Amino acid sequence: MPVTFIGVRHHSPACARLVADTITRLRPAYVLVEGPADVNGRVGELLLGHQLPVAVFSSYRDESRRHASWAPFCEYSPEWSALTHGRAVGAELRFIDLPAWHPAFEGRSNRYADAELRYADVMERLCRAFEVDNVDALWDHLFEIAPTEGLAERLETYFDLVRGESAAGDSDTAREAYMASGVTAAAAAAGDRHVVVVTGGFHRPALVRALALSEPASSTIPWPDIPEMPDGAMGGSFLVPYSFRRLDSFDGYQSGMPSPGYYQELWESGADGAARHLVEAVAERLRKKRQPVSTADLIAARATAEGLATVRGHHRPGRTDVLDGLASALVKEALDVPLPWARRGTLEAGSHPVVVEMVAALSGTRVGRLHPETPAPPLVHDLDAELERAGLDGAAELELDLTLEGDRERSRLLHRVRLLGVPGFQRDSGPTTGLSPVLRERWTLRPGPERLTAVIEAGAYGATLADACAAVLAERAAGAGRDVDALALVLFDAALSGTADVSDRTLTDIEAAVGGAPDLGPLGRMLAVVLTMWRHDGLFGTARSATLATVIAAAVRRVLWLAEGVRGGEAPADPGRIGALAACRDGLRHAGRALGLDREAAIEVATRISTDREAPPDLRGAAFGFRWALHDDPAAVEPLRGVRGAFVPRSAGDWLAGLFAVAREEVLHSPDVIGLLDELLSGLSPDDFLVSLPALRQAFEYFPPRERETIAGQVLARRGLAGTGRALLRTAGPAPEVVAAGMLLDSRVDTVLRREALIIGDVP
Amino acid sequence: MSRTEIEVTEPAESVQRPPAEARFAGELARLRAADSAARPPGWALSVQAARRFVVGDPALKVSRKFVGDPSLIDRALITLATSRGLMLVGEPGTAKSLLSELIAAAVSGDSTLTIQGGAATTEDQIRYSWNYALLVAEGPSTRSLVPAPLLRGMAEGRTVRFEEITRCPLEVQDCLLSPLSDRVLAIPELTGTESMVFARDGFNIIATANTRDRGVNDMSSALKRRFNFETVFPIADFATELTLVADEAARLLARSGVTAEPRRDVLEVLVTTFRELRTGETARGDSMDKLSAVMSTAEAVSVAHAVGLRGWFLRGEAGNAEDIVACLAGTAAKDNAEDLAKLRRYLAQQITWRDGHQWRALHQARHLLPG
Repeated sequence: MPVTFIGVRHHSPACARLVADTITRLRPAYVLVEGPADVNGRVGELLLGHQLPVAVFSSYRDESRRHASWAPFCEYSPEWSALTHGRAVGAELRFIDLPAWHPAFEGRSNRYADAELRYADVMERLCRAFEVDNVDALWDHLFEIAPTEGLAERLETYFDLVRGESAAGDSDTAREAYMASGVTAAAAAAGDRHVVVVTGGFHRPALVRALALSEPASSTIPWPDIPEMPDGAMGGSFLVPYSFRRLDSFDGYQSGMPSPGYYQELWESGADGAARHLVEAVAERLRKKRQPVSTADLIAARATAEGLATVRGHHRPGRTDVLDGLASALVKEALDVPLPWARRGTLEAGSHPVVVEMVAALSGTRVGRLHPETPAPPLVHDLDAELERAGLDGAAELELDLTLEGDRERSRLLHRVRLLGVPGFQRDSGPTTGLSPVLRERWTLRPGPERLTAVIEAGAYGATLADACAAVLAERAAGAGRDVDALALVLFDAALSGTADVSDRTLTDIEAAVGGAPDLGPLGRMLAVVLTMWRHDGLFGTARSATLATVIAAAVRRVLWLAEGVRGGEAPADPGRIGALAACRDGLRHAGRALGLDREAAIEVATRISTDREAPPDLRGAAFGFRWALHDDPAAVEPLRGVRGAFVPRSAGDWLAGLFAVAREEVLHSPDVIGLLDELLSGLSPDDFLVSLPALRQAFEYFPPRERETIAGQVLARRGLAGTGRALLRTAGPAPEVVAAGMLLDSRVDTVLRREALIIGDVP
Repeated sequence: MSRTEIEVTEPAESVQRPPAEARFAGELARLRAADSAARPPGWALSVQAARRFVVGDPALKVSRKFVGDPSLIDRALITLATSRGLMLVGEPGTAKSLLSELIAAAVSGDSTLTIQGGAATTEDQIRYSWNYALLVAEGPSTRSLVPAPLLRGMAEGRTVRFEEITRCPLEVQDCLLSPLSDRVLAIPELTGTESMVFARDGFNIIATANTRDRGVNDMSSALKRRFNFETVFPIADFATELTLVADEAARLLARSGVTAEPRRDVLEVLVTTFRELRTGETARGDSMDKLSAVMSTAEAVSVAHAVGLRGWFLRGEAGNAEDIVACLAGTAAKDNAEDLAKLRRYLAQQITWRDGHQWRALHQARHLLPG
């Protein structure tokens, strides 16, 4: 039973070439490939003649677990090479790994991520020993640009070394046991004919051992059963178009080989061709962006790349040699973040523009397309069925009333379709934020031929409309970065489409976005909306949603953090930032206990801001109000003392704006404070009063008319004057600007009269 | 990762800090003896051997002297072998000067042709000046000429180091233009062949510049074109930095007569604090304002040293979180009120969500910050 094991790194052109050569040479009876065994009946579908990259997308859902993963193939994938060359020599092709839904793949979204990378210690020591930056550079050095002689032996040694030191985890062990049973079955069935096994190199040593330990060949070893999905679970696997961009955007342990654009060139035209192509692509991209790239720079880049190749012992310049050469020659200033190919992972924010273009050139823009005869992904059927059920499959103009159950259902469905980017579903009007009082929506539906293409592409996101929509929203949440407004839109879209709960990963992304939010204003706006949705929204079903709770907790923390960092002396009140503190107060008041927010720490922060002379007056006022509103014992806050202490004529209006925005109720129910304000405001000199008038007007705007009336009444009573507050406020007098101008004129006249000694003492 | 072992070959008793070629003379000799690869013209070692001198080679007992990415060393050495100068830029305290010294020692066997940039640096200190007594007595001649590092480096084919180049005025920096591009230095006072000094093989320039000084004096774009820029980053890996700080602090404490080893958990808190204030991002991913003070590994070592001293001489034990707060105020915030406010805000708001005794102690001790 001659079994040849080829341990590969997924998406490695060198391995793909080795696989092709081996299969062509041995002409095996069986070619076994690491891949989902439940797809075995449909290998024909894979080989229809698609334009690569494509992927087998698998989804799974049961009561406790949801999982989606991809097994991507590109032209230089060793697995692809095994399938195509195996088919060419007439071998029987079989995937021998567990299905993607199996718990062994829990937490993994890329089947062809390299297992060895999860065992970081060993890899780190290897990189140290070879003095290279990371595993990708090590891999290129040892395999991709090294001479092909002895490649198979080198791969064996490498993976034996890597595997030799690590105990595989439970999930790897389970998979290896299953793969090993496939190998023994094939070996038995093949008899004297060859069997070629193509798996991740990390698994190879275990499979070799398992075969050696297995019973001597008899022709009766059965193929292992394909595990059945548990009862009540739903899921399946199907082909979807893929792209280099997505192939390159896995991160952490999911990321396999980076830079698909480069390796495609390496596969097609060899190391020299790939190097040349990379330099050309980078130069072209930069010149298109009007960045200067001189011929001298390109010569220097080339010389440096060749020099580096020599030092690093490469016969031809490899990926990092070319990149390092380009970076040396083209980057003429200090970098803010390290070169991305020196560390693994996706591009960091703040990367140098030249570096960004270099990475884009590496990544490539290729997009796959499925052969027309490929069975459509289940999303297509699910979407058609859902639309038909709701009677939305034709052209229509609709008006939906969101308070009606049936219309709300239809609205959710339409929003899900809209979020997938399917053309022909347009919402003309409807609620735009969580606070919007609009409860009616208008839609225009226009079916067209482009709809099917878009749904097939969206098929990569999930098997059902709900799953796909959740995946799209998750992607948008991850892409929102620190843009809180974009995040608020995602959350509202989630509410509109009835996607109440999201994955832990997405929650982490959302928390990170809020934790990095740079401005108080947008953050406060979002917090106010989200808090309302969390407290009341029965319509969209978001009340008490766990997702929103996370957002609220993160936003309250972040508002406090940002508020303490605001610096700047006298400045007009900024409604955005004092609004943020008001939203934060509401968060602590209404959700504090439910979400376990630390009220004491928040009050401590507010106390520091309110006494910080560097903080702007509006924020100091707001922080003082915050403390007053949230303190268990409001008397301990000593509002009278606080107001008196903070009352500086020039900034009084701004300070009060902050106070009123956050502690309106407290002020209203504290006659002493109103009395004190009356006293202090009456005591202002005419000049100071004029200066603070606009800010004072803004501050009192925070009281609705009825409350202003109450205040006016208290002021009248205090002065012993007759009349009601209402009468005082309703005076149809001239506009305040006119009054102010008049007062200014009066004061000038007074000054002149006084100067000429025409009046002495107080003006009556 | 083992700490940099300093091997002093010649015990120069009175020298505080001998140059790299003296400190590591043994290593250099072993590398030279084992060096079979082709050397670039004028170099004391091959590129491969020079690389091993910096990144280490256990087989030849060559210590690892730089913990950054090895590819940076590759690029730096290749740059020096081509016709462009090497510019090392980065935050203060990222071992740029050490790197420039090590590379010069490896490439030329001599790291002492050094120009220290500053506001008062003149062209005389870079190129050449005159012995005025001889100049008056004999007129301009090679006898009365006093060569400065640049002239010597060109004439002798050696590496010249230019520290803190952006601290020099722009017009002084620009005297490097023709030596870098035409590889020639004119001495108009002399006549005949002596009036032009052509650079010999092996001459090149390693300059260093702080990114913090960017505003002080920029470089002309003509000069920038003649340099390849390499940015040296703070240590990326937490464990590496922690080990480095722990080893260095232990060494300094031992020299100061402190017998209590610094506590690992206290150092962890210290190094985490430094890294977060340096990058402006917490372990949880929250973004913060960076401190304007330098939060380099070197500073972390000196705070760790001070923490140990405080603990030992005030209470007779290893330093704790309270000592960190007390020392941070002086080292990190210095006299900058804004930094002090940022530090206070950090200690008050960004510590509470972490577990661990030392973190709680650090939070409790936040009131020890002055002001």
